[in-house]
Amino acid sequence: MKANARHHGKVTVVDLSGKITIGDGDIKLRQAVNALLDEGRKNIVLNLGGVSYMDSAGIGELVACYKRAREKGVSLKLLNPNGKVQDLLILTKLQEIFDIYRDEREALASF
Amino acid sequence: MERCARPGRPERPLGVGRNVKLRLESRIGYVDLVHEMAEGMARGMGFEKGSALNIGLAVREAVINAIKHGNGMDAGKPIEVTFEQQDDLFRVRVRDQGPGFDWSHTANPLDRENIFRSSGRGIFFMRHFVDRVAFQRRRGKGTEVVLEKRFDAAGRAGRGGEVMKRRKG
Repeated sequence: MKANARHHGKVTVVDLSGKITIGDGDIKLRQAVNALLDEGRKNIVLNLGGVSYMDSAGIGELVACYKRAREKGVSLKLLNPNGKVQDLLILTKLQEIFDIYRDEREALASF
Repeated sequence: MERCARPGRPERPLGVGRNVKLRLESRIGYVDLVHEMAEGMARGMGFEKGSALNIGLAVREAVINAIKHGNGMDAGKPIEVTFEQQDDLFRVRVRDQGPGFDWSHTANPLDRENIFRSSGRGIFFMRHFVDRVAFQRRRGKGTEVVLEKRFDAAGRAGRGGEVMKRRKG
Protein backbone atom coordinates (compact mmCIF):
# COMPACT_ATOMS: atom_id res chain seq x y z
CA MET A 1 0.00 0.00 0.00
CA LYS A 2 1.25 3.50 -0.83
CA ALA A 3 0.20 6.78 0.77
CA ASN A 4 1.04 10.18 -0.70
CA ALA A 5 -0.12 13.40 0.95
CA ARG A 6 -0.76 16.64 -0.93
CA HIS A 7 -1.92 19.91 0.53
CA HIS A 8 -4.69 22.15 -0.81
CA GLY A 9 -4.78 25.18 1.44
CA LYS A 10 -6.16 24.06 4.77
CA VAL A 11 -7.00 20.57 3.52
CA THR A 12 -4.65 17.59 3.12
CA VAL A 13 -5.58 14.85 0.65
CA VAL A 14 -3.90 11.48 1.13
CA ASP A 15 -3.91 9.36 -2.02
CA LEU A 16 -3.95 5.70 -0.98
CA SER A 17 -3.29 2.88 -3.42
CA GLY A 18 -2.96 -0.89 -3.21
CA LYS A 19 -4.65 -2.88 -0.49
CA ILE A 20 -5.12 -1.97 3.16
CA THR A 21 -4.53 -5.25 4.93
CA ILE A 22 -2.93 -6.66 8.04
CA GLY A 23 0.79 -6.18 8.57
CA ASP A 24 1.40 -3.64 5.81
CA GLY A 25 -1.39 -1.38 4.60
CA ASP A 26 -2.90 -0.96 8.05
CA ILE A 27 0.48 0.13 9.46
CA LYS A 28 1.18 2.54 6.60
CA LEU A 29 -2.28 4.07 6.93
CA ARG A 30 -1.71 4.58 10.68
CA GLN A 31 1.70 6.15 10.06
CA ALA A 32 0.39 8.47 7.34
CA VAL A 33 -2.52 9.76 9.43
CA ASN A 34 -0.46 10.00 12.63
CA ALA A 35 2.14 12.09 10.79
CA LEU A 36 -0.54 14.56 9.68
CA LEU A 37 -2.05 14.72 13.17
CA ASP A 38 1.42 15.37 14.61
CA GLU A 39 1.92 18.19 12.09
CA GLY A 40 -1.28 19.76 13.37
CA ARG A 41 -3.30 19.30 10.17
CA LYS A 42 -6.97 19.88 10.89
CA ASN A 43 -8.70 18.71 7.71
CA ILE A 44 -7.85 15.36 6.14
CA VAL A 45 -9.32 13.56 3.13
CA LEU A 46 -8.38 9.93 2.56
CA ASN A 47 -8.63 9.24 -1.17
CA LEU A 48 -9.51 5.53 -1.45
CA GLY A 49 -9.84 5.57 -5.24
CA GLY A 50 -6.73 3.45 -5.71
CA VAL A 51 -7.48 0.92 -2.97
CA SER A 52 -8.51 -2.49 -4.32
CA TYR A 53 -9.69 -4.06 -1.07
CA MET A 54 -9.33 -4.06 2.71
CA ASP A 55 -9.51 -6.78 5.34
CA SER A 56 -10.83 -6.53 8.89
CA ALA A 57 -7.50 -5.09 10.06
CA GLY A 58 -7.63 -2.40 7.37
CA ILE A 59 -11.22 -1.49 8.19
CA GLY A 60 -10.29 -1.46 11.87
CA GLU A 61 -7.40 0.90 11.24
CA LEU A 62 -9.65 3.22 9.23
CA VAL A 63 -11.99 3.41 12.22
CA ALA A 64 -9.04 3.93 14.59
CA CYS A 65 -7.77 6.82 12.43
CA TYR A 66 -11.21 8.40 12.46
CA LYS A 67 -11.38 8.14 16.27
CA ARG A 68 -7.86 9.54 16.80
CA ALA A 69 -8.61 12.44 14.47
CA ARG A 70 -11.88 13.22 16.18
CA GLU A 71 -10.25 13.17 19.62
CA LYS A 72 -7.84 15.86 18.38
CA GLY A 73 -10.61 17.94 16.85
CA VAL A 74 -9.53 16.97 13.34
CA SER A 75 -12.03 16.30 10.57
CA LEU A 76 -11.29 13.15 8.53
CA LYS A 77 -13.35 12.37 5.44
CA LEU A 78 -13.28 9.75 2.68
CA LEU A 79 -13.10 10.21 -1.08
CA ASN A 80 -14.05 7.84 -3.86
CA PRO A 81 -14.16 4.34 -2.34
CA ASN A 82 -14.27 1.84 -5.22
CA GLY A 83 -16.52 -1.20 -5.64
CA LYS A 84 -15.10 -3.61 -3.10
CA VAL A 85 -14.08 -0.98 -0.57
CA GLN A 86 -17.50 0.62 -0.85
CA ASP A 87 -19.13 -2.79 -0.37
CA LEU A 88 -17.17 -3.22 2.86
CA LEU A 89 -18.12 0.25 4.12
CA ILE A 90 -21.79 -0.52 3.45
CA LEU A 91 -21.53 -4.02 4.95
CA THR A 92 -20.01 -2.67 8.17
CA LYS A 93 -22.39 0.32 8.25
CA LEU A 94 -19.37 2.62 8.36
CA GLN A 95 -20.72 4.57 5.43
CA GLU A 96 -23.23 5.97 7.93
CA ILE A 97 -20.36 7.20 10.12
CA PHE A 98 -17.94 8.66 7.59
CA ASP A 99 -18.49 11.67 5.37
CA ILE A 100 -17.90 10.16 1.92
CA TYR A 101 -17.46 12.13 -1.31
CA ARG A 102 -17.29 11.13 -4.96
CA ASP A 103 -15.78 14.39 -6.19
CA GLU A 104 -12.56 15.84 -4.82
CA ARG A 105 -13.65 19.45 -5.33
CA GLU A 106 -16.76 18.78 -3.28
CA ALA A 107 -14.67 17.14 -0.58
CA LEU A 108 -12.28 20.12 -0.46
CA ALA A 109 -15.18 22.59 -0.32
CA SER A 110 -16.88 20.68 2.50
CA PHE A 111 -14.51 21.88 5.23
CA MET B 1 10.76 -51.13 -19.99
CA GLU B 2 8.15 -50.18 -17.43
CA ARG B 3 8.36 -46.60 -16.21
CA CYS B 4 8.22 -45.96 -12.50
CA ALA B 5 6.30 -43.07 -11.01
CA ARG B 6 8.59 -40.57 -9.30
CA PRO B 7 7.87 -40.64 -5.59
CA GLY B 8 6.69 -37.34 -4.17
CA ARG B 9 5.91 -35.79 -7.52
CA PRO B 10 2.33 -34.55 -7.75
CA GLU B 11 0.25 -35.81 -10.64
CA ARG B 12 -1.06 -32.31 -11.21
CA PRO B 13 0.64 -28.95 -10.76
CA LEU B 14 -0.14 -26.92 -7.64
CA GLY B 15 -3.48 -25.23 -7.93
CA VAL B 16 -4.91 -27.88 -10.25
CA GLY B 17 -4.86 -30.75 -7.77
CA ARG B 18 -8.13 -31.24 -5.98
CA ASN B 19 -6.72 -31.21 -2.47
CA VAL B 20 -3.77 -29.17 -1.26
CA LYS B 21 -2.51 -28.95 2.31
CA LEU B 22 -0.22 -26.27 3.75
CA ARG B 23 1.54 -26.26 7.10
CA LEU B 24 2.84 -22.81 8.00
CA GLU B 25 4.47 -21.03 10.90
CA SER B 26 2.18 -18.52 12.61
CA ARG B 27 3.47 -15.43 10.84
CA ILE B 28 1.28 -12.63 9.52
CA GLY B 29 3.50 -12.56 6.43
CA TYR B 30 1.87 -15.81 5.28
CA VAL B 31 -1.64 -14.35 5.24
CA ASP B 32 -1.23 -12.91 1.73
CA LEU B 33 0.12 -16.23 0.44
CA VAL B 34 -2.88 -18.21 1.68
CA HIS B 35 -5.33 -15.56 0.47
CA GLU B 36 -3.79 -15.61 -3.02
CA MET B 37 -3.84 -19.42 -3.15
CA ALA B 38 -7.50 -19.54 -2.11
CA GLU B 39 -8.51 -16.85 -4.60
CA GLY B 40 -6.45 -18.40 -7.41
CA MET B 41 -7.85 -21.90 -6.82
CA ALA B 42 -11.38 -20.52 -6.72
CA ARG B 43 -10.78 -18.81 -10.06
CA GLY B 44 -9.37 -22.06 -11.42
CA MET B 45 -12.54 -23.85 -10.34
CA GLY B 46 -14.64 -21.36 -12.28
CA PHE B 47 -15.84 -18.96 -9.61
CA GLU B 48 -16.14 -15.50 -11.07
CA LYS B 49 -13.71 -12.79 -9.99
CA GLY B 50 -15.87 -11.19 -7.28
CA SER B 51 -16.75 -14.54 -5.68
CA ALA B 52 -13.12 -15.65 -5.79
CA LEU B 53 -12.04 -12.43 -4.02
CA ASN B 54 -14.72 -13.02 -1.38
CA ILE B 55 -13.42 -16.56 -0.82
CA GLY B 56 -9.88 -15.20 -0.54
CA LEU B 57 -11.01 -12.57 1.97
CA ALA B 58 -12.88 -15.15 4.09
CA VAL B 59 -9.86 -17.47 4.14
CA ARG B 60 -7.64 -14.48 4.98
CA GLU B 61 -9.77 -13.72 8.03
CA ALA B 62 -9.71 -17.36 9.17
CA VAL B 63 -5.92 -17.44 8.88
CA ILE B 64 -5.55 -14.14 10.75
CA ASN B 65 -7.79 -15.52 13.52
CA ALA B 66 -5.80 -18.75 13.71
CA ILE B 67 -2.46 -16.91 13.94
CA LYS B 68 -3.55 -14.12 16.31
CA HIS B 69 -6.21 -15.63 18.52
CA GLY B 70 -5.63 -19.35 18.08
CA ASN B 71 -1.86 -19.56 18.24
CA GLY B 72 -1.32 -16.21 19.98
CA MET B 73 1.23 -15.06 17.35
CA ASP B 74 3.57 -17.88 18.45
CA ALA B 75 5.53 -18.62 15.28
CA GLY B 76 6.51 -22.01 16.72
CA LYS B 77 2.89 -23.15 16.61
CA PRO B 78 1.94 -24.08 13.06
CA ILE B 79 -1.34 -23.51 11.29
CA GLU B 80 -2.64 -26.00 8.75
CA VAL B 81 -4.70 -24.96 5.75
CA THR B 82 -6.40 -27.57 3.58
CA PHE B 83 -8.02 -26.68 0.26
CA GLU B 84 -10.59 -29.21 -0.96
CA GLN B 85 -11.92 -28.74 -4.47
CA GLN B 86 -15.09 -30.76 -4.97
CA ASP B 87 -17.47 -30.86 -7.91
CA ASP B 88 -20.06 -28.67 -6.27
CA LEU B 89 -18.13 -26.68 -3.67
CA PHE B 90 -14.81 -25.31 -2.52
CA ARG B 91 -13.98 -26.12 1.12
CA VAL B 92 -11.09 -24.64 3.09
CA ARG B 93 -10.09 -25.84 6.55
CA VAL B 94 -7.89 -23.70 8.79
CA ARG B 95 -6.49 -25.35 11.91
CA ASP B 96 -4.60 -23.77 14.76
CA GLN B 97 -2.79 -25.33 17.72
CA GLY B 98 -3.73 -22.90 20.44
CA PRO B 99 -6.22 -22.85 23.30
CA GLY B 100 -8.75 -21.38 20.90
CA PHE B 101 -11.05 -18.40 20.99
CA ASP B 102 -14.70 -18.22 21.92
CA TRP B 103 -16.37 -17.72 18.54
CA SER B 104 -19.84 -18.17 20.05
CA HIS B 105 -19.60 -14.91 22.01
CA THR B 106 -18.36 -12.51 19.37
CA ALA B 107 -20.04 -9.14 19.51
CA ASN B 108 -22.10 -7.97 16.55
CA PRO B 109 -19.94 -5.32 14.86
CA LEU B 110 -23.07 -3.63 13.49
CA ASP B 111 -24.43 -2.81 16.93
CA ARG B 112 -24.23 0.89 17.69
CA GLU B 113 -21.91 0.34 20.67
CA ASN B 114 -19.49 -1.69 18.53
CA ILE B 115 -19.39 0.31 15.34
CA PHE B 116 -16.36 2.35 16.47
CA ARG B 117 -14.38 -0.69 17.59
CA SER B 118 -11.15 -1.18 15.68
CA SER B 119 -11.39 -4.99 15.85
CA GLY B 120 -14.01 -7.74 15.94
CA ARG B 121 -15.07 -7.90 12.27
CA GLY B 122 -13.14 -11.01 11.14
CA ILE B 123 -15.80 -13.66 11.81
CA PHE B 124 -18.47 -11.27 10.54
CA PHE B 125 -16.57 -11.02 7.22
CA MET B 126 -16.13 -14.80 7.01
CA ARG B 127 -19.84 -15.39 7.48
CA HIS B 128 -20.70 -12.79 4.86
CA PHE B 129 -18.25 -13.92 2.18
CA VAL B 130 -18.88 -17.68 2.05
CA ASP B 131 -21.95 -19.89 2.30
CA ARG B 132 -21.01 -21.79 5.44
CA VAL B 133 -18.63 -21.22 8.34
CA ALA B 134 -18.24 -23.88 11.03
CA PHE B 135 -15.98 -23.84 14.08
CA GLN B 136 -14.89 -27.13 15.55
CA ARG B 137 -12.94 -27.27 18.78
CA ARG B 138 -10.56 -30.24 18.69
CA ARG B 139 -9.98 -31.61 22.17
CA GLY B 140 -6.60 -30.35 23.29
CA LYS B 141 -5.57 -29.64 19.73
CA GLY B 142 -6.90 -26.19 18.96
CA THR B 143 -9.67 -25.12 16.64
CA GLU B 144 -10.60 -25.91 13.05
CA VAL B 145 -12.55 -23.38 11.00
CA VAL B 146 -14.31 -24.80 7.94
CA LEU B 147 -15.31 -22.44 5.15
CA GLU B 148 -17.48 -23.56 2.22
CA LYS B 149 -18.50 -21.81 -0.95
CA ARG B 150 -20.88 -23.72 -3.17
CA PHE B 151 -21.52 -23.49 -6.88
CA ASP B 152 -25.15 -22.96 -7.68
CA ALA B 153 -26.85 -25.38 -10.07
CA ALA B 154 -26.06 -23.22 -13.11
CA GLY B 155 -22.62 -22.19 -12.00
CA ARG B 156 -20.60 -25.38 -12.20
CA ALA B 157 -17.33 -25.49 -14.01
CA GLY B 158 -17.37 -27.92 -16.92
CA ARG B 159 -15.15 -30.96 -17.12
CA GLY B 160 -11.60 -30.46 -18.29
CA GLY B 161 -11.45 -27.03 -16.77
CA GLU B 162 -13.84 -25.48 -19.26
CA VAL B 163 -16.12 -23.05 -17.54
CA MET B 164 -19.68 -23.30 -18.77
CA LYS B 165 -21.32 -20.73 -16.55
CA ARG B 166 -19.83 -18.81 -13.72
CA ARG B 167 -21.36 -18.11 -10.39
CA LYS B 168 -22.33 -14.50 -9.79
CA GLY B 169 -21.86 -12.51 -6.60
